[in-house]
Amino acid sequence: MVPMPHYLILSALLFAIGAAGVILSRNLLIMFMSIEVMLNAANLAIITFSRFLNVMDGHVFVFLVMAIAAAEAAVGLAMIITIFRNRGTIDADKFNLMKW
Amino acid sequence: MTDQNWSILIPEIFLFIWALFIFGLDLGIKRKNPKILGYSAMAGLTITGILLAIFNGGILFKGMFQSDQLAIFFKVIFIGSAFMAVGSSFDIASEKIRHHRGEYYGLILFSTVGMMFLSSASELITLYIGMELTTIPLYVLAAFYKDDKLSVEAGLKYLIVGAFSSAILLYGLSLLYGLTGTTDIVTMKINLSLVFLSYGKIGPGLILAMIMVIAGIGFKLALVPFHMWAPDVYQGAPTPITAFLSVGSKAAGVVAFARIFVNGLIAFASDVMKPLDWGIIVAILAAAAMILGNITALRQRNIKRMLAYSSIAQIGYVMVGMVAASELGIASVGYYMFIYLFANMGAFTIATIFNDKTGSDGIISYSGLSKTSPIFAAYMSIFLLSLAGIPPLGGFAAKYLVFAAGIQAGYTWLVIVALLTSVVSLYYYANIIKTMYFSAEEPTIKIHPSFPANLVLLISVIGIILFGIFPGPILDWALESAKIFAF
Amino acid sequence: MFNTFFPILVLIVLATIIAIAMATVSVIFGRRTKGGAKGEPYESGIKPVGDTKERIPVKFYLIAILFIIFDIEVVFLYPWAVIYNKLGMFGFVEMLVFVVILMVGYFYILGKGALKWD
Repeated sequence: MVPMPHYLILSALLFAIGAAGVILSRNLLIMFMSIEVMLNAANLAIITFSRFLNVMDGHVFVFLVMAIAAAEAAVGLAMIITIFRNRGTIDADKFNLMKW
Repeated sequence: MTDQNWSILIPEIFLFIWALFIFGLDLGIKRKNPKILGYSAMAGLTITGILLAIFNGGILFKGMFQSDQLAIFFKVIFIGSAFMAVGSSFDIASEKIRHHRGEYYGLILFSTVGMMFLSSASELITLYIGMELTTIPLYVLAAFYKDDKLSVEAGLKYLIVGAFSSAILLYGLSLLYGLTGTTDIVTMKINLSLVFLSYGKIGPGLILAMIMVIAGIGFKLALVPFHMWAPDVYQGAPTPITAFLSVGSKAAGVVAFARIFVNGLIAFASDVMKPLDWGIIVAILAAAAMILGNITALRQRNIKRMLAYSSIAQIGYVMVGMVAASELGIASVGYYMFIYLFANMGAFTIATIFNDKTGSDGIISYSGLSKTSPIFAAYMSIFLLSLAGIPPLGGFAAKYLVFAAGIQAGYTWLVIVALLTSVVSLYYYANIIKTMYFSAEEPTIKIHPSFPANLVLLISVIGIILFGIFPGPILDWALESAKIFAF
Repeated sequence: MFNTFFPILVLIVLATIIAIAMATVSVIFGRRTKGGAKGEPYESGIKPVGDTKERIPVKFYLIAILFIIFDIEVVFLYPWAVIYNKLGMFGFVEMLVFVVILMVGYFYILGKGALKWD
């Protein structure tokens, strides 16, 4: 069987890729997909812990997180469509009407 | 089966069904009578409050859902802030939101249900779901003026930052789960202590987990350095939603923080565990929040942005009580949030009414308000002075308690920072009062709030003055609620 | 470890060799034609009618967004179905409540006219 650290390293890498995507990308859709990658990285970590510690709570957690991620994705896509209609672009750098 | 006491879930279930009912009502009445939706939302919240007074105390689902004193205390704050947000929305709902009023009120109620769940969560899964149920409707609400560029931009910024922070929080929670093998916060506390006692140290995993959870909740609280979204979102979102964000959503973050850190990780707040001490991390963040919030608020020309920076500073004061991690500390946090509810909701309600009348959020346009609408100028002065912490208003007692808790816990330097920044804050609060009362410009604007907005303002003013002069009952209740943590 | 994955290694090596071999053989022995039907996206298929970078009506996105929500809720039905016998009546009622809440959402969507195509 594949040992636990492998899964955790994979999950940490996915999380880092997602975080880098959110910070570096200027396209809203890519940013949003990166956030989904981060959520799934956390899911992978949870399910790994659940499997190796032999406690079932993690499975429940993952199901619920998946549903939440879907709700967030729906709201996010709707919001991106709204802002595209409003501004005609989804480039994150263009949204700077409010500055201090 | 002593813990299958379903009745404690009744307030949440009722509010959820009521929110669905409002969605249905919106379909049914076909936009004929704009006020009925708002009134039914207020009625629903009132009934929820009454149900909460009847059905409370107990645990459900093997301790996943606890209706203890702390939860009830904060649920009252959530219901109050939702009530006031709905009350101050009547004018914008009939003018600016013609087509989606049902969604508007319904989503506020859904968010309130999320907050109520969050405050009862003594377990990580419930806590995370509660937090998401709180924020997802708020993303939509922040962007509710679909054709207004600022509002949509605010909603989008809130969405990206909110989703990003919730992913960080989730990863932190997953690490906590992995380190302790449980999602229950009390069991987590025991397991961590056992590991610590037997090995004498806990590895970097816990530090990483704590930092991630602090960052995740810090985003929700707009704690420096996770605050950069707050001014933009506060400025762009519909003003009642801004008020709801700044009170309800923050109180939700505060209670989540208390549940995880002050209950679950309390063992790691003391000096003996120096490298793992979350107390000092949060204390530094709180100091940064107070300094940055207050200094930046000085140069704001827009009242919503100014209140946003002021709320960043206020959360710094709340965190002083939190890092004290004592009974007095938690009680003072509760009391502070209670007074903050009245003061901040009141100030934002005035800003809403004013914006409806003039279409402007500039502080300068408030000049001469005392001559045309003396009552509202007086109200606004009371709210602002309470936020600044002037006796005998509620804000003074709240700040006094928080500082006392901080001194008692040995965070003297933090309290000195807090005192100095409070003095700075007086300047920008007083600046608005000066503009309203002593401006040379000729006043032109007279404001006429609708009945519900008037009610909200009246409740806020009475609350601030009454609980400022007689802090006893609320403080006793807050002390009672702090007992559940068993320090 | 090695024994378990050895067949896969063999498969990878074989697949790579065959793919390279086929490409090389067609380069060496193949006849070359240019222009005409060869230049079209689908050599022996339907003639293209326009650019691919066309705006798609927003209605599709709406359907897709609604689909995500209803689709993912099925995730909760799987664990329930697996231990249905253990949960008994309680689980059945719980799931009924859950589905009814989803139905309310569905009827709301219908009532708002979000699924009307025109």
